[in-house]
Amino acid sequence: MSQDRITFDNVSRFYGEVLGVNRVTLSIPPGITSLVGPNGSGKTTLLNLMTGLVRPTEGDIRILGIEPRDPRKMFRMVGYSTQFDSFPRGATGRGFIYSFLRLFGYPSSKASALTAEALDVVHLTDAADRKIAGYSKGMRQRVKLAQAIAHDPQVLVLDEPLNGLDPLVRAETLTLFRKYAAEGRHVFVSTHILHEVDMISDQFILLSNGYVVAEGQIQDVRSEIREHPLQVTIRCKQPHALASKVFEMDHVVEVRLHPDGKGVLVLTRAAELFYRKLNHIAMGDFGVESIAPADDTVKSVYEYLIGEESQR
Amino acid sequence: MEIIELSGLSVRFGKREILSDLRTTLSSRSVGLLGPNGAGKSTLIQALLGFCPVSAGTASILGLDIKRDRSRIRSFVGYMPENDALIANMTAVSMVRMMGELSGMEPKAALERAHEVLFYVGLGEARYRELGTYSLGMRQLAKLAQAIVHGPKLLILDEPTNGLDPPARQRMIRLIHEMIDSGEMHVVICSHLLGDVEETCEEVLILKLGRIVHHSNLAEERLANKRFVEIETLGELRGFGDMLAGLGCPCTVDVKGRFKLELPSDFDMRKIYGLAAERDLQLRRVSYRQDTLEEIFLKAMEA
Amino acid sequence: MAVYKLTYKGHKGASTPAWSRFLIPARYNYAKLTGIRFLMLFVTVSLFYPVGAAIYVYLSANSVFLTSMGFSPFEIDGEFFYTFCRIQGVLSYLLMAFISPSLVSWDISNGALQLYFCRPFSRLEYVLGKLSVLLPMLSILTWIPALILFAIKSSISEWSWTTENWWLARSVLLGLMLWCVLLSLIGLAVSATVKRRVAAGGLILAIYFGGTGLAGAINLVMGIESGSLFDLTRVTQTIWADLLRYDNGSNMTVSSAWIALCIVTALCLWLLNRRIRSFEVIK
Repeated sequence: MSQDRITFDNVSRFYGEVLGVNRVTLSIPPGITSLVGPNGSGKTTLLNLMTGLVRPTEGDIRILGIEPRDPRKMFRMVGYSTQFDSFPRGATGRGFIYSFLRLFGYPSSKASALTAEALDVVHLTDAADRKIAGYSKGMRQRVKLAQAIAHDPQVLVLDEPLNGLDPLVRAETLTLFRKYAAEGRHVFVSTHILHEVDMISDQFILLSNGYVVAEGQIQDVRSEIREHPLQVTIRCKQPHALASKVFEMDHVVEVRLHPDGKGVLVLTRAAELFYRKLNHIAMGDFGVESIAPADDTVKSVYEYLIGEESQR
Repeated sequence: MEIIELSGLSVRFGKREILSDLRTTLSSRSVGLLGPNGAGKSTLIQALLGFCPVSAGTASILGLDIKRDRSRIRSFVGYMPENDALIANMTAVSMVRMMGELSGMEPKAALERAHEVLFYVGLGEARYRELGTYSLGMRQLAKLAQAIVHGPKLLILDEPTNGLDPPARQRMIRLIHEMIDSGEMHVVICSHLLGDVEETCEEVLILKLGRIVHHSNLAEERLANKRFVEIETLGELRGFGDMLAGLGCPCTVDVKGRFKLELPSDFDMRKIYGLAAERDLQLRRVSYRQDTLEEIFLKAMEA
Repeated sequence: MAVYKLTYKGHKGASTPAWSRFLIPARYNYAKLTGIRFLMLFVTVSLFYPVGAAIYVYLSANSVFLTSMGFSPFEIDGEFFYTFCRIQGVLSYLLMAFISPSLVSWDISNGALQLYFCRPFSRLEYVLGKLSVLLPMLSILTWIPALILFAIKSSISEWSWTTENWWLARSVLLGLMLWCVLLSLIGLAVSATVKRRVAAGGLILAIYFGGTGLAGAINLVMGIESGSLFDLTRVTQTIWADLLRYDNGSNMTVSSAWIALCIVTALCLWLLNRRIRSFEVIK
């Protein structure tokens, strides 16, 4: 059903000779999708393609069935918050959002009401009538977010929306995203903070050098990376004994003893078999206290697929 | 060993009181300074560095008073500001050298150490290039380099991972860890990213509206509270919660399907594993619940 | 056999004396400036006139040679040094307009000033450091050659000339040192206030060359004379003329010229203090 998805069909975008993104094919369902990748990997290009700000040099994009080439229909559906920090000179918070809404064709009263609502959601009502030039970094970020959500869009495209926000506001904003996702909207977030991706995303897209390197749900992607066996950390009172026992399983390829002498790190090629057997092993006298996956995160996937890039 | 002692420190700009009567002692190797925007974190750092006048009270860094011994304090403090701070037409080596000399180093020592420090942070290959040509990640590292060139005893980092992509962020955190572990300096990290602070800091100080709302030693709080356990499973879930309760552990399930249990005293965990083995359930995660820094922060904000 | 790991090491070493630290930025600035070919060329060309003047001074003692060439003998007096001041004054102003913006704006434009002041380094030391770049370079173009000219004349003349005219040396030294200090302050104050280098340079030039026009306009419109106080050239020339006891036909009173000079100096100092202070204390 393509009507509720954002689809990219073999999309490429070049800027002259310079590569933006190449041969991207995606089908993004509703929910929270995170876009991660190093600087220069094509994230901003992808977001611009999605919002119709640039046209692909090749391929086809559709947002809920609509082509971005039709801005009037598209921007009603899409709310965009950029990473760039520039605003019209002399604008106040309220004025900025209000004029934006008027461009949509809302009558004055409706635009004012929607502006007030959006400002309320991001908690900027008190500062709304001050000039944006005097706002702190966090406040400017919130104004951008308010402008993106003001017209109640079905698709939210946000470029590093949490940049500069303090932990309280971050938590509130993430809750807001979850609420939108639960309502069936698309929330598309480009970010560098991988542990927040783990916390809230339903699926993620990993870009590197203009190519999509991985996409999907984190567990599915992780299990596909077979060159790296799954890592599990087990804390227990008898690590040596546990290590020997665990080696009896032939899908276990490596066991490392934790330096503090109270745990082991197990690398195994067959996650399911391992966990099933672990219950039986744990009933023995090893004093198993805790079990935790060591690399089941976006961060580990990122490392495996992209690695630490050298400074240029 | 007190690193920073605040004795009723207050700062006022005109009529507004930015910091009110701060009293506490920070003594760990690494301290996290947290708080919402406008809480006064930057003002506290500026007051400690002597950049803004103190309206009441005092503070001391490593035993030296911030008003009387300002110059001496500045000679052993390293500061990495949040915003852009570089001289664009100088090369990295030149700028770091000059900053070293300004902190009192002899010219030869400053030159040697500038190279050493630039290699250490990872800018070795780029150190002869002008700072104006550097990318954001490189600028952050250059800022760090100038902060440590003179071997400070106290390093103040303001949003050190700001704008960095994941590999650069990891590198920065690794560097911070190494510097803390070397035992040569104490570090104060001011950041909005609780994850970074949790990874690196032993002690946290949380400010709100110019007052201290929380101050604790994370290392002590991490002593596991072994009564509360969290379990994540993969597999047939129905009834597992009831069966756990049947073992004597009151149990709730959260939004993501995680089980949160309270264990009675002297409970044998093997009963849980046995139960899972019977039902062929994969226990993907069994861990002791500790208050994460996020929970501590949110609690402090409500106070 | 050993393996050396690249870990963090602290630093314990001797410290340089605190009083001399203001010279540190100056050293780095000099290193940069001497690398600019155009600048070195300009300084060289600016010394042509002093060299020519030296020849002139030499000839002044040789009246026989002069009369044989058909020139009447001339004196080295206040007028001679006045002309010298005017010409070298313009050249030194141009030099200052070129150097000052790049001295300060690089520190301000990317927030580097806070890095200076989080160290045991004060605002005063910062300004002194910049002055110790500007003053020597301006001095090379102004009072140093002037004193050399006086020394040449003194050595080829009789002792009585020197005893009668030593006030010339004192006056030209005072007049040109004042000029150097004034220029340095204007240069630093404007560069600290106007962020962009080219704009700062332009403003500095405008203060000098546009001052005449502004003064004339004010005088005309308001029908007064004191508008000339905006004309930096007139003000300083009045003071030089007074010091060198030469009547340059100016109808500006000497005391009002001095007052104008003091006001400008105070204004520059105030502006400089405000601007640099605002970078030390980040709001």
